[in-house]
Amino acid sequence: MERLLAFGDAGWGDEILSGTLLTLQLAAVTLPVGMVLGFLSAFLSLSDSRLLRALGWGYSTAMRGMPELLTLFIVYYGGGLLLNAGLNRISAGASFEISPFLAGVVALGLVFGAYAGEVLRGAFQSLSPGQAEAGLAIGMTRRQIFWRIRLPQLWRFALPGLGNLWVNLLKDTSLVSVITLGELMRMSQVAVRTTKEPFFFFLVACAIYWVMCVLSEVILARMEMRANRGIIRARA
Amino acid sequence: MNPMEILAAHGPRFLHGMGMTLLITGLGAMIAGLFAPWLALWRAQGGIVAQSALRPYISMMRGTPLLAQLFLIYYGSGQFRPELQAIGLWWFFREPLNCAILTFALNSTAYQTEILRGGIMGVPRGEIEASRAIGMSRGTLLRRVVFPHAYRIAWPALGNEIILLMKASALASVVTVYDVMGVARQVYQKTFDFSALLWAAVIYLLITATFVTLWRQSERWLSPHVLAMEKRGRR
Amino acid sequence: MTDQPVLLAEGIQKSFGDLHVLKGIDLTARKGDVISILGSSGSGKSTFLRCLNFLETPDAGRVVVHGEEIVLRNGRPASMAQVEKLRRHLGMVFQQFNLWSHRTVLENVMEGPVQVLKKPRAEAREKARALLERVGLTQRADVYPAQLSGGQQQRVAIARALAMEPDAILFDEPTSALDPELVGEVLKVMQGLAAEGRTMIVVTHEMGFARNVSTEVVFMHKGQICEQGAPERMFTAPATEAFARFIADTR
Repeated sequence: MERLLAFGDAGWGDEILSGTLLTLQLAAVTLPVGMVLGFLSAFLSLSDSRLLRALGWGYSTAMRGMPELLTLFIVYYGGGLLLNAGLNRISAGASFEISPFLAGVVALGLVFGAYAGEVLRGAFQSLSPGQAEAGLAIGMTRRQIFWRIRLPQLWRFALPGLGNLWVNLLKDTSLVSVITLGELMRMSQVAVRTTKEPFFFFLVACAIYWVMCVLSEVILARMEMRANRGIIRARA
Repeated sequence: MNPMEILAAHGPRFLHGMGMTLLITGLGAMIAGLFAPWLALWRAQGGIVAQSALRPYISMMRGTPLLAQLFLIYYGSGQFRPELQAIGLWWFFREPLNCAILTFALNSTAYQTEILRGGIMGVPRGEIEASRAIGMSRGTLLRRVVFPHAYRIAWPALGNEIILLMKASALASVVTVYDVMGVARQVYQKTFDFSALLWAAVIYLLITATFVTLWRQSERWLSPHVLAMEKRGRR
Repeated sequence: MTDQPVLLAEGIQKSFGDLHVLKGIDLTARKGDVISILGSSGSGKSTFLRCLNFLETPDAGRVVVHGEEIVLRNGRPASMAQVEKLRRHLGMVFQQFNLWSHRTVLENVMEGPVQVLKKPRAEAREKARALLERVGLTQRADVYPAQLSGGQQQRVAIARALAMEPDAILFDEPTSALDPELVGEVLKVMQGLAAEGRTMIVVTHEMGFARNVSTEVVFMHKGQICEQGAPERMFTAPATEAFARFIADTR
């Protein structure tokens, strides 16, 4: 078994490691994209305009009602189509495919954003209005109140939900293996193809994902404690 | 891209795929639904032995991608073909559909157990004590008080879990099950017509929308008193 | 200049849906005035106070602070910048304290000077410490609001309002959310401010404060000013039946 996981030509250790790193990289790049989309979605659904609210609802409902794998395919193939249609207008005959990594970031970002939008919307609604009013009363601008009061207080309510979404994101990166990105799942499949040891390699992959998820949960628990500093009252 | 042509040529296939998606989701959810309440009871009230057996299972099911679980069961079982043949189980693991349903059931059991555990812990102690006070047996207590209460609390979360399972069932297409996703991929590979994927999206959204409506309705039917209270609470 | 009122409100009206809460209120506060606004709950007194710094936008009327009138256009302030400027001149102390839960006591007091008045941090910190000493909370500068009693929180909130060096301070039932034994410490601080000659407008249920500390009492009833005058006169010889009943009921 150690032989299978050796580094270099003899084993698959280095391949699995590079796959793991790519998995982490994909998740890390997707997170900020998803967060930005999440805030956008939350702002849309909290907007005064009926049109914007409908837009936010549509985005969130579509993303949460469709399999992530399908979203990924639509982004991967549809994105290529869209890009080529655009490129052909500039120079005919040009052909371009978006990379699996980029498709992964966009698709998983869209999914993360839809769920994060729900979490953030709930968190915004949980904020006590008196906190913002105290800011208004000393003459803060709306922008100052957002950055200095609402946003810092938001995390306390949003972190548990966002933490779950991060763990889901880590796991969902495995889907991008289906469009041939060489992340952990893909690398395990490559190893299986040569070694005919599916049980071993997929078990290793599971173990690596599991460690990443458990570690994330430990770190998230710490972050939640930090976000709750100053609030000693027990949660109701 | 010609959506209408695709629908005309491949409509029946999509319909078949839809049946498959509903079948694997439904079976997966129901099998999980058979085990989850007992495991949840164990999680909520069981001793250290039960806890230490269940926690790693739940943690692993929730901490690893469903795709990895599916591959482990489907491809992994292939490695043990002689042993499985010897105990007469190979016929089961040979079929990707069986493996997919087994994986989804195992996975959903973990999630449903945690959801129901929350529901069981949410049953007011006073009600349990009141039932004991009138001499209810443990079985009656579970059947008449604990589970009805726990399910009412857990119902919305269970609905969400079933939607998540329905979406996750698209992974079965990766091991050549022809559910909606599988059909869409097949048609796309044949025609290179992007609308195949869009039709799949429409079908999934329809299933989700229908399910959400039905589930809400069932919630109303399940707990009229809670609704009445909520209405009053909302000013 | 001394004749110019610190705050002038004229004909303030406000409705919530069909409910006509304020039916044209006038109020003038000159430097050093301590005006207590009394009234039963639902009389509109808190809404009126919130209209003065535009936490509620009045439907009609004028508010002049620091010699500047807020211009309303289509039922909204024409310029938010103007409203923000007004708020800098009017401190506010809330019933529920509203200290920022994610910042320490000291940071709560420093926030306005640093972020709104753009004072250097060091200067703001020194000033904040001095103000905390005034309200007797030097020892608690570095704890979070949740670790304080209600009375302590309200004293910090007063220090936070003072840090803006406002022309006048609005108090919205500052002791109503406090346990009875904590009311005294807050009233004592407010009394000190009054003695210093601060301009204060206080919505309150504390009859003792209204009678002994304030320079003027305003009694609101059903969205209007029902009676108004010097405290001694009002409490010894109420001119209206409504106010007479009000003091009889609260006694």
